[in-house]
Amino acid sequence: MNCAECRDNLVACAEGLLDHETSLACQAHLEACAGCRAEYEAIARLQQQLVARGHAAAQVAMVTPVMQRVLQAREEPEGESIMSKILKHRWGFGLSAAASAAAIILIAFLTMPKTQATAAEVMARGAQAVAKLTSIHLRGQLRTYPQDNFSYINADCPFYTIELWKQFEPELKWRIEKPQRVVVMDGQSTVMLIKTDDTGVKVPQRTTSAFDTEWLHRIANLSNTISNELDNARAKGWDLSTRSERGADSQMKSIVTVMARSGVPDNDYTKNTFMENADTRRVYRFDAQSGLLEAVQVYLVRPSGEVKIFDLSQIDYNQPIDPGVWKLDLPADVNWAQLPETVPVLPDNERYASLTAEQAARAFFEACSREDWNEVGKFMSPVNPRLKEYLGGLKVISLGKSFTSKTYPGQFVPYEIQLPPQEFNVRVSNANSAKRYVVIGMYDSKLKLEQDLKWTGAPEVLTNNDAYARLSPKEAVQAYFDAQAKFDWVEMRKFASAFDLEETKKQVEMAEKAGVDVHKQMPLVEVGEATWSPEQSAWFVKCRMSQTKKWNLAVRKDNPAGRWQVDGGI
Amino acid sequence: MDLTDKEYVEHCRDGHPEDFGLLVERYQKPLFAYLASRVGDGGRAEEAAQESFVRAFLSLKKLRKPESFYSWLLGIAGRVAKEQFRSAAQRQRDREAAETMMSHTTASGEQYPLEEAIATLPESHRQVILLRYYERLSCQEVATRLDMPLGTVTKTLSRAYALLRQELAAREGAEPTVNQTQQL
Repeated sequence: MNCAECRDNLVACAEGLLDHETSLACQAHLEACAGCRAEYEAIARLQQQLVARGHAAAQVAMVTPVMQRVLQAREEPEGESIMSKILKHRWGFGLSAAASAAAIILIAFLTMPKTQATAAEVMARGAQAVAKLTSIHLRGQLRTYPQDNFSYINADCPFYTIELWKQFEPELKWRIEKPQRVVVMDGQSTVMLIKTDDTGVKVPQRTTSAFDTEWLHRIANLSNTISNELDNARAKGWDLSTRSERGADSQMKSIVTVMARSGVPDNDYTKNTFMENADTRRVYRFDAQSGLLEAVQVYLVRPSGEVKIFDLSQIDYNQPIDPGVWKLDLPADVNWAQLPETVPVLPDNERYASLTAEQAARAFFEACSREDWNEVGKFMSPVNPRLKEYLGGLKVISLGKSFTSKTYPGQFVPYEIQLPPQEFNVRVSNANSAKRYVVIGMYDSKLKLEQDLKWTGAPEVLTNNDAYARLSPKEAVQAYFDAQAKFDWVEMRKFASAFDLEETKKQVEMAEKAGVDVHKQMPLVEVGEATWSPEQSAWFVKCRMSQTKKWNLAVRKDNPAGRWQVDGGI
Repeated sequence: MDLTDKEYVEHCRDGHPEDFGLLVERYQKPLFAYLASRVGDGGRAEEAAQESFVRAFLSLKKLRKPESFYSWLLGIAGRVAKEQFRSAAQRQRDREAAETMMSHTTASGEQYPLEEAIATLPESHRQVILLRYYERLSCQEVATRLDMPLGTVTKTLSRAYALLRQELAAREGAEPTVNQTQQL
């Protein structure tokens, strides 16, 4: 092998890619030739450096966190203040809606295939129709939890009513309400109340949208709906289609369907849990003559099939709105939550800011365990009596490695905790034809009603009714919880109403679907003494429940103090 | 077949921001290695790398030569590292930590031109180097990934080594500077 041949083969030689014979020839040449040997050694040194650099970076995986931040940054409006948005709505609503409608038609005809252009035209006519809107009221049904976020969806939940009232003139006011969560913007400030634990959140400003109500506002402000859907369809390649049909009122209707893909991977933790993370088929129905939007249906599109999650069939345009709608009655002992942007910088902030998500989760749970509520307050707001009762004295069993979701700016920390025992009372009564003690309500430790367990019909007389009729109030409650621990629905039915049974079954099914090991996490109930209440003519059986909880704590640190704050998952 | 940096940048600008993830995937490791040798701490390097990517994304419209994405990214990263160092130095109540960072920067300072030198390679050569060393693929795997014959991979590597050595030799003795082909 000569020098030129050797140099041609140097890299292959260093990589061990030469056949045996050529490799030997190459090595022989290297031993004999100082020039080629120096070249070989220089390459080997460079390779070593490169290998070391690659090794140092081997564990790096930052696509998800970077893309989260990138997506978040994109969603932030560019240089538009809340005030300027409000001014637009107050003074320019009619004009901007009509103007944007015209612009959309033009763009649509120039850049879109024919069906999309038709859809664009239908939707743009809808925008023109509402250009002189003074107020709007929407009443729809959403599959969600009554107390959860406004955009939270869950295909396994029943439908709950969600409503929006919005007044554009003489000044912007709006209210959005679910059964256990309501937000009101009364022209001065924006206040949200979560009724389940009397938590209040106040934004001391007028807003056009707040918390996660944007999706519903978009529907209410049709010009935005149109431009958003068309922009998305263009940018993300979504399908838009349109058809005509005769409606129940024998008028012609235009139906526009948008297939919206969230771009969130199927294995993402938050996929399909919020409107904006979900793959949906949205169907808008317009009256062909007036151009007004009449109905909207949103279907969650999953590999297992479609489920309708939102059904909006009542839209009132320009109807007077009762001024009482703009008043929010707050409970006297409302617990005000800190806004993320007002999380204060602590004197020893660095100590908290330098924690990892897991360390923060541990510090939070351990502070709950010690009932050091001042410390808990550094990780969460508000620290209300309900939280104290629920988490005070807990025991941490284990914490897992944190993980992220494409659309959540924080992290999720898997945890398993032993919750402190909760005291409660079960109300039982045998004032029925079967003369058996049956459960008729759940009360808290202070005998405040938590759940009324209605019996629609009287408890039936069982074939072995006497055996059950002989049970004391305490024994009946014990038997009820024993059956519950075994998921013995037949036995439970002897003590509980069909309503209670269905509710329990639903909760178990939903927990299972959410990935909870219900057999392991079913609470253990210790049944105590029974007391007769003459006022209520019923027995109350004191119980203590202990339960482990295994779930994922959501924490985020995108606040001015840069400290992890517990955001959900408790 | 993987697209070029220019194509990814153009996709991002044309309303496919999700394609930026592919650029992050391509350059996260060399960027991290570059920053780790500058700031001397894995955690800080990762933080700076993420920040650099986010800033790059937000300024993507201003990138005049999309084919120079990587060297432009290194320029941003260099500034992020400096800012991070300054703010950390101000923040540190104990001078010790700042001194440790200083000594790290000096001690490993001679290493970080490697990623800068890689940035000067033609893109086809750079991809082979990145896949071989930062993604730790074998030559055969690189060939499969880039859909090229094994011989082309070794020839490209050979040429890339020569160019890298030439670039590093030119920089030898000079203060490490960030290749700032474009400013934000």
